[in-house]
Amino acid sequence: MSAPPLSAPPPARPRAQTRRERRRRERLERQDAAIPVELYGLRRGTLTALTACCVLFAVFILAPVVWVIINSTKTQANIFESFGFWFAAPFEFFHTFANLFRDVDGDGTYSQWFLNTVLYSVSGGIGATVLAALGGYGFARFEFRGSKVFFAVIIAGLLVPITLIAVPLYLAYAKVHLINSIWGMILPSMVSPVGLYLMRTYVELSIPRELTDAARIDGASEPRIFFRIALPLMVPGVMTVLLLSVAGTWNNYILPLIIFSDNNLYPVTVGMGLWSQHASNSGDANLYPLIVMGGLVTIIPMIALFALLQRYWRGGLLLGSVAN
Amino acid sequence: MSETVLRSPAGVIAPPGAARGRRRRSVYARRRGRSGLAFVTPFMIIFTLFMIAPLGYAIYQSLYTTKLIGGTRFSGFANYAAVLRSGPFWGGVIRVIVFGGIQIPVMLAIAFFFAAIFDLGVARWGPVLRAIYFIPFAVPIVVSSLMWGFLLDPAYGPFNRLMNAIGFQNFNWLSANLMLPSIIIIAIWEWTGYNCIILYTALKSVPRDVVEAAILDDTPLWKIILRIKLPMVRPAIIMLVFINTIGAMQLFIEPTILNNYQAGVVSNTWTPVIDIYNTAISDGEYQLGAAMAVVLAVVIIAISAASLAFRSRRREFA
Repeated sequence: MSAPPLSAPPPARPRAQTRRERRRRERLERQDAAIPVELYGLRRGTLTALTACCVLFAVFILAPVVWVIINSTKTQANIFESFGFWFAAPFEFFHTFANLFRDVDGDGTYSQWFLNTVLYSVSGGIGATVLAALGGYGFARFEFRGSKVFFAVIIAGLLVPITLIAVPLYLAYAKVHLINSIWGMILPSMVSPVGLYLMRTYVELSIPRELTDAARIDGASEPRIFFRIALPLMVPGVMTVLLLSVAGTWNNYILPLIIFSDNNLYPVTVGMGLWSQHASNSGDANLYPLIVMGGLVTIIPMIALFALLQRYWRGGLLLGSVAN
Repeated sequence: MSETVLRSPAGVIAPPGAARGRRRRSVYARRRGRSGLAFVTPFMIIFTLFMIAPLGYAIYQSLYTTKLIGGTRFSGFANYAAVLRSGPFWGGVIRVIVFGGIQIPVMLAIAFFFAAIFDLGVARWGPVLRAIYFIPFAVPIVVSSLMWGFLLDPAYGPFNRLMNAIGFQNFNWLSANLMLPSIIIIAIWEWTGYNCIILYTALKSVPRDVVEAAILDDTPLWKIILRIKLPMVRPAIIMLVFINTIGAMQLFIEPTILNNYQAGVVSNTWTPVIDIYNTAISDGEYQLGAAMAVVLAVVIIAISAASLAFRSRRREFA
């Protein structure tokens, strides 16, 4: 009956907004919001010293990354013998990179592990985000029998770290034949109490109750209200939770370490841990260039993903969860 | 507090003519309750299957003992008694408490320092530096441990050569004495940026007029930061202490990986999670490992609860 006002597209934005203009406007707004530095009455030397501190810490942060980039071009001998922070001939980058696609020493192939990691973290991350968005909305906007208790239990779940769940999961998996099953990895990755908590906070803070109530009076069904009204407003929160849960699964080490005994199912983290162990224990020194190159190839996609989603990423969301 | 305000949408929605509104409202509320349940059910199912059930199963298992001869039988709290008596386990617990007790305050101080600088806007290239600080968050801990292992390697690592060059012969970052400090440095590298971003966002929300008033009163800058801004971001700091503590108590990956660069320092019981892993998975003593996991969970919850109690007590006096 009242569908038209609900589904009407938002008023068209002025077309002329190029990226550069938007950037300029944002910069002006930022400058407007900040208190001019001159008012603090700092001397020039102090300002320089503070900047120097920041730059020094940035050097500390970048050092390992730079090391990995430089040493991904070196031979095994040069990784150890030559100066770590400068290049040394011969240039082995492409040779080593090609080796990532081969099973060099019988432990498994990096490219296979990489695909596994992508599979686990994308499906686990999307699953976690969907469940958290639905559940967070449910807890934020509905009262039902037991909702308080359920929510309290989930909050208690925040305190239970995944490493503690890993051992019991292994015991349970042994009973239900989920050892060496990708579902044994993906399904637990979908449990994100933090995500649910963040989504609930986000819904409470950013979706006016009047909006959903008005739609309800107009006779919209609950799923329709969620998908057409709430969800579009939840996008920044959803993006943050997605990023956090993809990163969480991408980083997960102990769960796959415990539940997988088949090397072809390993994610990158477990595979590289295994390489490192073999390189030191059985003197498989030719693995070291692969470890360096594997590290480089592992971190590039995540850094790219964070940079890409930076516009949506809300540090403030994490903060909002503290406010109440 | 805000709950009570938010909880009465039914009153808004009830049709104006509903004199017998009470019954109608309850029917309505029940229908909404069902929709609410539908929204949270998928999460609850997965949460129950993969969080509650394993925990329950761990507690159940921890009450049994398997003997080579005689099979599995109920043994009450025998496993717990063994864990509570285990010197190496508690040695590991103390080690991670020392680790967190040093790493978390140092890291938060550094993070707050840089967050305050970014918030004031007094350093150049602020946005670029913030992005750089955040990079380690995108690096899996296994990979950062591997990279730091190369950098700190006792034989070839550039940082080791640096120490040798400035006069410390036979310096070893990964020796028994320096392993924990080195891991603290690595953890600071990993987590400062993340904490800094959250503190920065918190500082941004300090009302501008408060700071302006302080400036007009000629309050020195360090006082504005430590006496005005710091107290206002206390909730964020408490949450960060909380999160970082839970993380520190689970120290596992860094020592496991660094062990590949310097054998013999990280024992099988070096941290509680290493101990649990070796007991339950490597040695196959599932029930004992499950009891250890439960004890560690209780320790983590106790520390978290203590920090919350501290928070509410401080609030009363504030």
